[in-house]
Amino acid sequence: MTPKERENLIKKAWILITYVVLITFALVYLTPFIRSIIASFMNWAQASRYPPEWIPNPFTLENYEKLFRLELFPRWIRNTALYAGLIIAGNILFSTMAGYAFARLRFPGRDAIFSALLSLMMIPMFVTLVPNYIIIYKLGLIDNIFGLALLGLTNVSSIFLMRQYFMSLSNEIFEAARLDGCGPIKSFFFIALPLARPALGAVAVYQFLGSWNAFIGPLIFLRSPENFTLPVGLSFAFQRAMWVEYTPIIAGSIVASAPTIILFLLLNKYLIRGIVITGGKG
Amino acid sequence: MARVLLKEVTKRFGNLIAVNKLNLEIKDGEFMVLLGPSGCGKSTTLRMIAGLETPNEGEIWIGDTLVNEIDPTKRNIAMVFQSYALYPHMTVFGNIEFPLRMSGVPKQERAKKVKEVAEFLGIADLLDRKPSQLSGGQQQRVALARALVREPQVFLLDEPLSNLDAKIRTQMRFELKKLLSYELGITTIYVTHDQVEAMTMADRIAVMNKGVLQQVGTPDEIFYKPSNTFVATFVGSPPMNLIKGEIRRKDGEVFFETEYFTLKLSPDVPEAEEIILGFRPQHVDVALEQKDDYISGKLLGVEKLGVENYGHITYGNTDIVVRVPEDIRISRGEIYWKPQKNRIYLFDPKTGKTIYG
Repeated sequence: MTPKERENLIKKAWILITYVVLITFALVYLTPFIRSIIASFMNWAQASRYPPEWIPNPFTLENYEKLFRLELFPRWIRNTALYAGLIIAGNILFSTMAGYAFARLRFPGRDAIFSALLSLMMIPMFVTLVPNYIIIYKLGLIDNIFGLALLGLTNVSSIFLMRQYFMSLSNEIFEAARLDGCGPIKSFFFIALPLARPALGAVAVYQFLGSWNAFIGPLIFLRSPENFTLPVGLSFAFQRAMWVEYTPIIAGSIVASAPTIILFLLLNKYLIRGIVITGGKG
Repeated sequence: MARVLLKEVTKRFGNLIAVNKLNLEIKDGEFMVLLGPSGCGKSTTLRMIAGLETPNEGEIWIGDTLVNEIDPTKRNIAMVFQSYALYPHMTVFGNIEFPLRMSGVPKQERAKKVKEVAEFLGIADLLDRKPSQLSGGQQQRVALARALVREPQVFLLDEPLSNLDAKIRTQMRFELKKLLSYELGITTIYVTHDQVEAMTMADRIAVMNKGVLQQVGTPDEIFYKPSNTFVATFVGSPPMNLIKGEIRRKDGEVFFETEYFTLKLSPDVPEAEEIILGFRPQHVDVALEQKDDYISGKLLGVEKLGVENYGHITYGNTDIVVRVPEDIRISRGEIYWKPQKNRIYLFDPKTGKTIYG
């Protein structure tokens, strides 16, 4: 065997190992999802059997029928969309402004404030849950999508992402704008915001995924069924006194995850860009 | 149009003094080049005039106004950046129009002015394109157009040609000079580290080093009357030869002596012992046979640049560069040379200041 052939062989072996590892991990991550799809076509008795069965027998659409018989199902979708929309709009507006300020403006205490914000990322949401609840309660916004959305209008990770993005833009463009007559506000709207489109896309996609799937927040801040979001509504609808009817919930989750899956397929380049922005220059 | 006056301007970044007590006047309509190596404070000076940096001490005047406290948006100056800093999300039209839009010029007038300046610079057919679709030279013109369109009092350029390739650079060099000095007669401050740009474009050059102004003068003054060793070696290519030695007087004649050779100087040189002798490679007579007063040396090699050919001669640690005849046939071996008497400079070895020449 010549050294070149050996080199080629080693290369091929590495590619093979890489693929085996990646496929294994992909399967580990995909199995629950595949299981959900299969289980959504089973009745509860079969789906809960042990050891698990993988072929629906009898094949049933009953779970989906139950779902679409729910009067509140369209309402929950609307609520979830409203919630996600508010969160996305809020993040685009406020996180962009905050990120711009942290990246481009000079003001006393800027870096200290930013570090403080970053350290907030390490605090689990459950720590702030009760104080947040009290605030929203005092504002009289419990059981109100707007009250719930208020808590997520901005987000440290979005601010961080936007800041990193604005820092990666050339300084000279902003200096040129300044000489062309832009104060900080004009240069935000005319220069920074239009240039931030890729990062805005990433923020929007992340926030959509987060808010569409949110469970704990809506569960705690919303009370009446007609105000529920989809994830909370589904678990509410099929919770019986002694047990939970999981198969319709699974069917509901699959319907609910359809938009996020479609969105991911369409926009995954923005998601990846988001990772590149925050990782590229830190 | 206006003059620019800098009085005792100092800028510090932490412990670093970027610009140290700079006094400089740029006359109305003058093309001033700030020349120096990177880190010499030339860009900082320009940015202070623009208002992007604030001086720690001193005064900056534009026209009859003290501008220290005036925001860059209100100084009525325009700047062209090294990277051009075009707005990538706007078309060429949008870029040129932008400063007018920001100052509230009505839409129709804006369109008219943009067309005028675009035609003037020969980019009228590019107005619908985005900056990323333009070549370097075209982007440069757009940046110029954007700066010119609002008719600024002072025009600042920060290494505007250094991103272009060599051929376009030479062409743009002359075009810029023609445009700014001959056609518009606008007060221009141009920052560069390229001495050729400085020599070819400037009305006057201000040479800076380590934050300190070394010399201000016309290109001829800078070239033929350098005030110290820094200016002498920074301007001119290849740089001026500098040799340490002593001055000896014998029988009414004056000699410059080093370990390796002795050179007869004209008798009017000032009294001094230790001295640095300087002469430009172009101001040397070269021969292949021994002649009167010629110094012999070993030629190490010849750099052929076409018409100009430069030979390297070594004495110990000192490398001397001389221009050799165009048709020289040897590239190694014995050679004889003599600096032209009236083109010799003497420098104080301690301060580096010119004391003769």
